[in-house]
Amino acid sequence: MTHPDPSTLALYAGQDLGWFARWRTARHLARCRECRDEVQAFASVSDALIPLNELPPISWSRLAAEMRANIRLGLAAGECVRAEETGRPPGWWSGARALTALASMIALVAAGLFLQRPVPQAPPVADNGSAVLRATANGIELREGGESLSLLHVRTADVTYSAGAQGSMRAGYVDSETGNVTINDVYVQ
Amino acid sequence: MSEAVDPGLELLERQNRFVSDHLRRIFVQIYRIVGNVADAQDLTQEAFIKALQRQQQLKDEQKAAHWLSRIATNTAIDFLRRNGRVAYCEIDAAPESPDESPEDLLLRSEQHSYLEDGLRLLTARERAALMLRDVEGLPAEEVARRLDCSKATVRSHIANARIKLRRYMEKRKP
Repeated sequence: MTHPDPSTLALYAGQDLGWFARWRTARHLARCRECRDEVQAFASVSDALIPLNELPPISWSRLAAEMRANIRLGLAAGECVRAEETGRPPGWWSGARALTALASMIALVAAGLFLQRPVPQAPPVADNGSAVLRATANGIELREGGESLSLLHVRTADVTYSAGAQGSMRAGYVDSETGNVTINDVYVQ
Repeated sequence: MSEAVDPGLELLERQNRFVSDHLRRIFVQIYRIVGNVADAQDLTQEAFIKALQRQQQLKDEQKAAHWLSRIATNTAIDFLRRNGRVAYCEIDAAPESPDESPEDLLLRSEQHSYLEDGLRLLTARERAALMLRDVEGLPAEEVARRLDCSKATVRSHIANARIKLRRYMEKRKP
């Protein structure tokens, strides 16, 4: 036999279950003594709390008068603080606040648009038959009409390449063994 | 010729009436959650000040009563969270009553102390839900409204609270 969980029994004891769960639990309780005892124990927990319903022996009229006076005092103090806080003209303050908020929004949108703008890509090198001069891992390569000519360098790691605006490519390197300086200039015409 | 009524006086009158109408109910409600007169007194005052500082929400009498109850419950729960305790007043600190004998006072103090230890095992919301349901006798829907949560959550709080208290009472008989 499957027993209802303790939460269900605790809620049943205080009549806090929905009608279907209550009906199902009641059916189970009708044939399960163990769960009936559990429900009884939960009900006695609620009964034990009843003394908390009693107020302590206090003089209510004195206490109420004291509370009324303190509430009045608290409200008066609150109004004093509020009056100080609202010393500035409200129209000016709310206008400045709205303006600041608007400026922030505009700045946020502008930053968003700036960051989202398409980044210009370098146009791909078109293979339209014109000569292209470029530095590769091995040296300087001249490509034209599907054919290429490469100037290979021995120590490619030390080579410094520089491109000229007039369509030239320069490679310079120093041979670490002989100390010879080699400079190659390749021009496209 | 009609007499002009000072709006400040009218407001004061309305506030006084509001306090008088609800003071005892709110005090009792908070007292049941925090368990001692001194804290209940402070928190009742705090709840009324909070409520009266937002007077525009007090136009509808019926709604104002519910709203005030909710403020009171939340104020008490916040207090318990901050302080993490329920402190029933000690017998020496309890106000004297001509109707109660010293034996009655002692018995009541012991009973409260026993319950106090058990209630310390509950979270602030479990305690508030249990007090509103089992001590004040409010239906679960009303407890949910006061605690500003769903009925299912309230049921869960109540079930947990009863289970924890039951375990406590089994271990420690009064």
